Amino acid sequence: MRKRLLAVVLAAAMAVCLMACGGSSSGSAASTGEGSGAASGEGIRLLNGKPEIDTQLKNLAAKYKEETGKVVNVETIGGDTNASDELKKMYQADNMPDIFVIEANQAANWDGLLADLTGEAWTEDTDYELVDEKMGTIGFPYTVEATALAYNAEILEKAGVDPASLTSPAAWQKAVETLDSKKDELGLTAVFGWCAEPANLGWSSGTHVFAQYLDAGLAQDDTTYIDLLNDGGKIDEARMKDFAAFVGMMNKYSDPALLIDGTYDNQVAGFAAGKYAFVTQGNWINGGVTGSPDYTGWAMGFAPYAFEDGIDTIIAGPPSFWTVYSDGDVDAAKEFLQWVSDDSAQDILVNEAGLISPFKDCSFVAADPFAESIKGYMDAGKTSGWHTMLKKDGLQNKTCQVFADYAKGALDEDAFVKTMGQVISSYYNN
Amino acid sequence: MKEDSGSKKLPALICLIGGAILLIWALALDFSGSKVGYRGALLVIGLIGIIMGLYIFPTLKYHRTLVYVVFLFPLLFAFVVTVIIPLFLGLFYSFTNWNGIRYTEFVGVANYARMFRQPSFIWSILITALFVVFNMILVNLVAFLLALLCTSKLKGMGFFRASYFLPNLIGGIVLGYIWQFVFSNVATKIFSGMKYSMLSSTGTAFMAIIIVYVWQYAGYIMLIYITGLNTVPAEVLEASNIDGANAIQTLFQIKIPMIAPTITICTFLTLTSAFKQFDVNLSLTNGTGSVADFLGQYLTNGTQMLALNIYNTAVVENEYAFGQAKAFLFFIILACVSILQVRISNKKEVEL
Repeated sequence: MRKRLLAVVLAAAMAVCLMACGGSSSGSAASTGEGSGAASGEGIRLLNGKPEIDTQLKNLAAKYKEETGKVVNVETIGGDTNASDELKKMYQADNMPDIFVIEANQAANWDGLLADLTGEAWTEDTDYELVDEKMGTIGFPYTVEATALAYNAEILEKAGVDPASLTSPAAWQKAVETLDSKKDELGLTAVFGWCAEPANLGWSSGTHVFAQYLDAGLAQDDTTYIDLLNDGGKIDEARMKDFAAFVGMMNKYSDPALLIDGTYDNQVAGFAAGKYAFVTQGNWINGGVTGSPDYTGWAMGFAPYAFEDGIDTIIAGPPSFWTVYSDGDVDAAKEFLQWVSDDSAQDILVNEAGLISPFKDCSFVAADPFAESIKGYMDAGKTSGWHTMLKKDGLQNKTCQVFADYAKGALDEDAFVKTMGQVISSYYNN
Repeated sequence: MKEDSGSKKLPALICLIGGAILLIWALALDFSGSKVGYRGALLVIGLIGIIMGLYIFPTLKYHRTLVYVVFLFPLLFAFVVTVIIPLFLGLFYSFTNWNGIRYTEFVGVANYARMFRQPSFIWSILITALFVVFNMILVNLVAFLLALLCTSKLKGMGFFRASYFLPNLIGGIVLGYIWQFVFSNVATKIFSGMKYSMLSSTGTAFMAIIIVYVWQYAGYIMLIYITGLNTVPAEVLEASNIDGANAIQTLFQIKIPMIAPTITICTFLTLTSAFKQFDVNLSLTNGTGSVADFLGQYLTNGTQMLALNIYNTAVVENEYAFGQAKAFLFFIILACVSILQVRISNKKEVEL
């Protein structure tokens, strides 16, 4: 009798397990309530890669439903899982969302699977859409991010440095020396909060700082150096040498503890506490800075990496795009994207999510403390492209090590240029 | 008997053929991308039909086998789906230019040829081998010494055993981040001679990985050694004691020979697990570290071991087929090690 009872209990347990397995079909994607049911045709699905704006996007979907009665399901991938990996799994499982996020250099992987959005009304209204020669207009820009040397306006003012004048290496050198001599008076630990630690911050040096070599001073659509790079990994030695000299100055006037062993958190916290006058990040640090208990409400902005005379641009543009899956519900997706580019949606994206709008007719200014500075560069046409996103996948993991060795003093300026060239070309031709 | 078989043949055939038709229909629906809801049910009914047909088919020869197969089916199915199919699929992909989404052409053995021309990959193989050697020796040595301590008759042994084992319960990723903090914020303050953390240059970073790994793994191996030491018969120890053997003689002449099989097991456990080292490597250094000149190249993956190299090739560098080819080489290496292990442990068991 007891044996039979045990058998029944075990069988029941197994049945429960099987049912539980069947229920969790949405995998590791943190989907909304209706997420898994979406495949059966009720509404479209949007795969978002920025976990920090998940709530706001859900509000956006709710607003869309309220205004048009149509359903959009937002699924967010982020944190440790990379959206492009998750998309590969979704593609293999025939479970593709209708709109999903990609970075510019991933477009070629999806050749033939992305809908052409040429001729949509919103394309008239922005300069930042992703255009591919073969596939047409494929990417919808949903935000603008900027990176350059972020500065603490209060400290620069006290030291008598005008950030607008920082457009040549000589001006930089003078400003940095001034700041360095007044370090104690200004309460600075170092002039630069620059971190070349490769294991966790390789994306910062390898992608964003390296981006300045590729784009600083160039027009938004100027692809000179990225084309050279993607042509078998060539670099322009003269430009790289100027860049090396500038990075050398940053190394010299940085906080050594942060430079070699720092973390992103230390870097942002140090900037928020007013320990550094400049920090090598982008406007995504705004939340970290304004949320810090040490932050006292000073203004901030961006100064260009002027490693050559006359460089006066910052890198600004969409680092990633929303694309439409061509086998999905293309019409509904197009309709949604058009709606997102209009006022009621931009209100949520700009004012709630704090994104900077890529659309010209958007009248909202984001709560981002960098927004004013970025908008200034955008209005003056002084922005360069995010072409660093077009470099070969994984290159940042190679170049960041060269930055780290340079920072540590294992390489000098000439060795940096030579090693950089060698590492890049061997990675392209491996 | 003859009559009986005749009357059963027909329904058996009907079951078989009907089952096969349903099965093929269900598969055809599936591959043609149809979304009909009943195709799962169709598949299951078809399978049951085939099994029924086979079972009532008038020969008793294979009944037993069939019953075994039916009962083993859930496990076999899971094994085939999660291990066997991916293995062959992976082998297949390694001959293509697969990018994780699809492939467009067959490249033959180009991926295999290419990996041996890549200095960074050869470097990874070399330091993995070095890591394995260091670990096999250090983990076993430390674990054995700890086991000796924990089998002595000191007070509070339960507590020490538990605390030595504890690091093993923390996941490798978490452990890596904790130690990263220790190396860069604590160690630099304690040893004031150190300008930068150990993790910032290749040689010391490699040592750091070994330290963390030994710290994590020695407790686990220690438990196995404790079990081994406890199986040494008390009468043998007593006899040696009466014969006047001192502690060191007892250790080398009695204990170590008696636990030889345990040593074999532990050696291979540390060998395979060190080969597969991934999580601590990922979270502690992420493979960084520079090598000034290796085969004429400046390498930037000084501490990147084999498993991490494969992961980075596929996922970060987006070369899935190439990563797959490397993974297959890794599979062959590990398979050889495992076969060797099984051979040797079997031999030892016979000897006992």
